[in-house]
Amino acid sequence: MILHPGIIALLGGTSLVTVMVLYSSYEGFKIIRYWDRESSSARQLSLERKTYLLSSMIAFVLAINLLSLFLFIYTVDDIHTQFVGAMCATGTLNANTIGWWALLLKVTIFFVSSIWILINYIDQRTENLPLVRKKYASLILFLPLFILDVYFEIKFFLGLSPDVITSCCGALFSENSRGIASTLAGLPIRPMKYTFFATVAAYFLTGFLSYRYTKIWLIYLTAFLAILFFFISIVSLISFISLYFYEIPTHHCPFDILQKEYHYVGYPLYITLLGATVFGLFPGFAELMKAEGVPLMHWQRRWLLTALLLLIVFFLIVLYPMIFSSFTLEGYD
Amino acid sequence: MRRHLMILEFALSCLCRRKYKNLALLFAFSLLVFILSSILLLTYALKKEAIEILQGAPEITVQRTVAGRHELIPVEYINKIKTIPGVGKVEPRYWGYYYDPFIGANYTLLGANRDMLRKIEILEGKSFFSEQKGVCIVGKGVAKAYFAEVGDRITIIGADGISYTFKIAGIFKTASDILTNDLIILSNDDIKRLFQIPTGFATDIVVEVYNPEEIETVAEKIKKLFPSTRPITREEILRTYESLFDWRSGMILTMFIAAVVAFVILAWDKATGLSAEERREIGILKAIGWESSDIMELKFWEGFVLSSLSFFTGLIGGYMHVFFFGAPLLSTALKGWSVVFPTLKLTPYVSAYQILVLLFLTVVPYMASTIVPSWKAAMTEPDQVMRG
Amino acid sequence: MKYKVFIGIFIVELLLLIGILLFSYISINTRIDEMKYLRQLCQGLTATDLAIWTEARYTRHPSQTDIFSAFQDCPSCLEHFPAGSVLSPPPHFRRPLEAVK
Repeated sequence: MILHPGIIALLGGTSLVTVMVLYSSYEGFKIIRYWDRESSSARQLSLERKTYLLSSMIAFVLAINLLSLFLFIYTVDDIHTQFVGAMCATGTLNANTIGWWALLLKVTIFFVSSIWILINYIDQRTENLPLVRKKYASLILFLPLFILDVYFEIKFFLGLSPDVITSCCGALFSENSRGIASTLAGLPIRPMKYTFFATVAAYFLTGFLSYRYTKIWLIYLTAFLAILFFFISIVSLISFISLYFYEIPTHHCPFDILQKEYHYVGYPLYITLLGATVFGLFPGFAELMKAEGVPLMHWQRRWLLTALLLLIVFFLIVLYPMIFSSFTLEGYD
Repeated sequence: MRRHLMILEFALSCLCRRKYKNLALLFAFSLLVFILSSILLLTYALKKEAIEILQGAPEITVQRTVAGRHELIPVEYINKIKTIPGVGKVEPRYWGYYYDPFIGANYTLLGANRDMLRKIEILEGKSFFSEQKGVCIVGKGVAKAYFAEVGDRITIIGADGISYTFKIAGIFKTASDILTNDLIILSNDDIKRLFQIPTGFATDIVVEVYNPEEIETVAEKIKKLFPSTRPITREEILRTYESLFDWRSGMILTMFIAAVVAFVILAWDKATGLSAEERREIGILKAIGWESSDIMELKFWEGFVLSSLSFFTGLIGGYMHVFFFGAPLLSTALKGWSVVFPTLKLTPYVSAYQILVLLFLTVVPYMASTIVPSWKAAMTEPDQVMRG
Repeated sequence: MKYKVFIGIFIVELLLLIGILLFSYISINTRIDEMKYLRQLCQGLTATDLAIWTEARYTRHPSQTDIFSAFQDCPSCLEHFPAGSVLSPPPHFRRPLEAVK
């Protein structure tokens, strides 16, 4: 089982990433311990030099993490045929208790590392690197996530044994069974639709207003709404958006849209969703850092604009099948 | 934008200045991608092909096992299996292996119990009726081994020591090599005579099930009726092939991990071992106002140019190797001791997934290996190097 | 300008790659009929396996092997066919012991 090429690539990639994060944490610890801006000792100089290395390492880590998120889903989807009863990625994830946790962790790591990159970005463009200590403290804080990621991945893939009967997505995301996933699928469609559209509208509006007026409370509100938007979108995706793509009123799987049969529409959908969330979060987090005397209005506005654009693209992708396909959910509301 | 382009330009000049070193790196990297992509593409295509074709495999094959080994099955089982609801045609199969001492190859001999072959236009020559004796249809591999053509005769020594000759009525076309390469199709009576199969026994039994949903239950019922049998469902066959090729490509990939590691070490070494000249170059750049981040970008572009070019070249090469030329370099390794090995004329199944996997196996480790060296280079102090 | 040359080569290779993917797409579609024939042939022959490795029983018919398949020719005899070393053991052989119980 472990010898699937995708699994080898994934394990290799995440191990590499973990080694890098471990090393960065070690150096980060030294920075927290000995950092002294005023000093001109050899140690301080070497620490300052190390920060360049660490930031490019973490940028690398983020890029690999994003790729491995998709690689993970794809691999899990690719091996589903080896399990009796599994019909898509969901089936494989169910084959083992850790599957869903591994996926969740990967998404979390994506958010965490992108915010780290953001802090680093602000820090490096400020004269006296005011955030250095916080930055590396947070890195050490996040270290367990990365280690857990490798652990889960290994445990998940090693624990898979073919022929174990798994419930496929038809069973998991159908309204009759119990569990969180099916609760999501069973949510009434019409209220869910209203919630989704309302959230998107609210997010867009606050985003736009904070872009226009750059009020602090608006920026925080945007960040909050970004998180809300992410969860509501995932729920809606399972509850009703996927139905429009599949044109089957009972098929709620969030992974099948990544497949060729649906023209890989899942990729732009998920990428814009992740992007719209992350860029909406950025200004808020940056605002938290503002207390340190960092000028960042210019960047905040740029991020907000990016978030808004990504949101529009995401929304258009969601809207497209609702408007242009002949499939309707009227009878199922 | 212009700034980045200028740094790219400078990176290219740097690469050109050390032409042979970088060409060697480019070559090694392309070769690595070429090998890995050939393996991935070949096994994936084989897997897809197997799964496409074996959809036609019998719904259930029932085999009897004695002491854990496959044994001949009594034909009378058929009557009882027929009574299970949902079961269609139930037929005995007569088949076996034959080692040809003159050529040193293994063939698979199969009795034709259906006239199905007549409908299929994948033959050179013609088919025969299943009751016709003394004729055979052979796969391309068998025909090649005997240097035989339609109308020639082949000799097979039976279990009783007597040589039997068969006239080749037809040869399977190359397109079906992957399924028929080592096959010799004879009539059932001929097979029984050749192998001296006692009357009332068959090699195994194939069961047709009308509703695919019921295959599993029918298999269970057969197992209950005859506990010494092993019903093999079509699902099982497909799953076996699925994991078979994953395992195979994973196995070969694991062996090649050593090559990846070796390459990463090479890349690391090339990137770390800055010559005095390079060091001076960077020192001068910094002295004229380049920042450390610019130098890192320069190094990034160097890595990007090398890895993107080698990745593309290797991938395209691997693709052509597998799908245009039939993977000649790999098939020797894949072949093992198989004397009769099919020419691999595969459908080029390629997916974005494979490219992603390949990226993870090659470009990612390479990029990772260049991070530290390029940082080291960027930290060069101008005054130190220029002073010598 | 060297970067123009590089970007040129880059684009050419990218286009080649896209061309290859397109070629795959087209040839998969053109081989649909052939595949149908092969599937019919498979049905007609009641074939259960691909004729790739003919050296031993369990490499010629991996799906038909018995429970002892990896070492089937005698108890605890060593694997000596080259293909056997890269061919996967059958799934039931790789299941952890607890699952079998």
